[in-house]
Amino acid sequence: MSSPVRQALTIARRDFLSIVATPTFLIFLLAPLFMLSFGLIGGLGAQGLESRSGNDTVVAVVSREDGALLAEASVRIHNGNEDQSGLYDLTVVEAGPRPEGQARDIAAKSEDNVYSVLYGPVETPVILEKNAAGLSGRYLASIADLAAQAKRDGAFPDLVRPEYKPLGSAASRKDTRKAIGFGAVFVIFMLTLLTAGQTVSTLAEEKGNKVIEILAAAAPLEAVFVGKLVAMLGVAILFIGFWLLIGFGGSLFAVMHFADQAATAAASAPMSATDFNLADFAPAIGFPAFIGFAVLYFLMSFLLLGSLFLGIGALASTMREIQMLSLPITIFQVAMFGLAGAAANSPGETVATIAQIVPFSSPLAMAARGATDPAVWPHFAALAWQGLWVALVIWLSVRLFRFGVLKSGGRGGVGALWRRMRRGEAG
Amino acid sequence: MASTVIEASGLVKYFGDFRAVDHVDIAVPQGMVYGILGPNGAGKTTTIRMLLGIIDPDEGSRSLLGSRHPRSMSDRVGYLPEERGLYPGMKAVEVIAFMGALRGLDWSAGRARGAEMMAKVGLSHVADAKIRKMSKGMAQMVQLIGSIVHRPELIVLDEPFSGLDPVNQGRLEALIGEERDRGATIVFSTHVMSHAERLCDRLAIIAGAQRRFEGTVDEARGMLPLEVSYRPADDVGRAELGDLLPADAVRKGDRLSFPIADEDVSLWLSRLVASGHGVASLSIERPGLHDAFVRIVGTAAGDDNPTGEAP
Repeated sequence: MSSPVRQALTIARRDFLSIVATPTFLIFLLAPLFMLSFGLIGGLGAQGLESRSGNDTVVAVVSREDGALLAEASVRIHNGNEDQSGLYDLTVVEAGPRPEGQARDIAAKSEDNVYSVLYGPVETPVILEKNAAGLSGRYLASIADLAAQAKRDGAFPDLVRPEYKPLGSAASRKDTRKAIGFGAVFVIFMLTLLTAGQTVSTLAEEKGNKVIEILAAAAPLEAVFVGKLVAMLGVAILFIGFWLLIGFGGSLFAVMHFADQAATAAASAPMSATDFNLADFAPAIGFPAFIGFAVLYFLMSFLLLGSLFLGIGALASTMREIQMLSLPITIFQVAMFGLAGAAANSPGETVATIAQIVPFSSPLAMAARGATDPAVWPHFAALAWQGLWVALVIWLSVRLFRFGVLKSGGRGGVGALWRRMRRGEAG
Repeated sequence: MASTVIEASGLVKYFGDFRAVDHVDIAVPQGMVYGILGPNGAGKTTTIRMLLGIIDPDEGSRSLLGSRHPRSMSDRVGYLPEERGLYPGMKAVEVIAFMGALRGLDWSAGRARGAEMMAKVGLSHVADAKIRKMSKGMAQMVQLIGSIVHRPELIVLDEPFSGLDPVNQGRLEALIGEERDRGATIVFSTHVMSHAERLCDRLAIIAGAQRRFEGTVDEARGMLPLEVSYRPADDVGRAELGDLLPADAVRKGDRLSFPIADEDVSLWLSRLVASGHGVASLSIERPGLHDAFVRIVGTAAGDDNPTGEAP
């Protein structure tokens, strides 16, 4: 008796070796390098643009006396804070007869990024803001307050110098976990996007060179489909393994060569090692389970989308048709990512439940759930649910292939096809 | 009586509204070389694909090696499809090993046996060549070897001689003979009668989607009367031969030719001797399978003998 498992593995082995042993695979393997290069070039370009765009500035259009007070207040605030984030450079312009028009002109024509402009006396200032209730407006209000006090009292009040300490990440644990969940969704989506779409053309070779008849005669079509899926999964794992190895090697290199600098930076960091608690960043089900489930969900995501694309691609007659299918396939994947992303941002809500139930977004959404929900059993249920759908999609793909390509159908079009499929005559 | 390797009853297959196979029955005894003959488009390939379980019949039943699930028997079957196809980027011996592995043979054993079989048919020099570098005939021989490398009990070859030069056709005939001697049952389809006549123990003729004949080559030929081909010793005209010739006698070159019933042969020979015209050349032969095929298929086209059973 023939063994479908053995036959599937035979097909997987041939396919895997034939894919890996080609120069084209090298291009596929290095594709992320091209992506990173383009990203780097884009990033450098953006950085260049930012460096040429000038500083973030606030402007005061006031009398000479008020201007001096405002400048002094701004300097005092800058000097009183080691961390200059949230502070703005102040430019003082002496007010003319129409300070409001002058203020608006400055905001419109300045080379710098002028976020807010203050005009009028410091006791009753008017602030024009680019963003309503923005930080720059609040900053101008603060220095105007100091300046007004100095004008009234004849001296600036002593500034309070608070000691800043980290609050601890536990307070923002919910947001952190949501971010981890979304990160998992993104990583699984990207890996699936890079690898599962390849399955759409995997049967094209057999259909083109008529080998499909040999395969169909020797093995059940289910074994053929599973074999091809396993081969592509092997290619995906090789691809991921290669980049993990590169990442690990790169990290090792960085640790060995930049350990001293890292230690120095850590010592001067505002948060000391004792403040850092890994548990504050841990997903709700813990790191080991989260990583384990994430791997399983990637496999499920690959198998689900891969089997769907394999089935769709198997029905295509030409490479042109396969190319035409690429766009809707990518759109479908992005839609599933969107749904799962929404689920990651709204744990426990209806959209999350929907995303976890819809089979093709379920692996992504469930990975996100692992970050925010400590319950483990839903993951086993989800894996079983997704596995069921993998089998269902393969079963359906095989039947469509049998009817559509091998012409193993009867008369009467779609209605008859459906009736025959329900009777199980195709198998 | 030998057991039956393939048994099919009332096979029907539609493609849309077109009936490609219409109630075909086939029974292939074990250890025989069985031919499925028919003109192009007769339904031979569709029948074979149904027998092997590649497609399912719309009506009827079939069993292969005793199983009603033909694909479950695939390890015991070798199949060369009509539409030849191999992976062009693979080496010949690897393709053979892969095809063997699909049907349960270990990869390394498949490689070794494949190399051995390629040497036997004079292709050892291309064992490590990629398929795309080989001629069509060579690739076809590689595919044939891949189909039988696992030493199946049943070998099904769909138009195996198509595309082969005479030398390779001879090699293929020899290979089929060897496989029969090994004990394998061989089923092949063809529309070239000479191969069927030389190789087949039994055959079925399919025409117009229906089976028109089933039996041995001799039984097929037996459907036609004997053919007399006669050249008198002296140069005499047809009129001078008189009653010696039946009305349907025709001249073919310097010979006169006409059909004769088996039971009339003795009487006619007596009359020939008595006529005194002498014999320069005389043959009384059963027409070949080709003529029988043309007669059966032609009759099928006229549809005046739908059963076509052997007498």
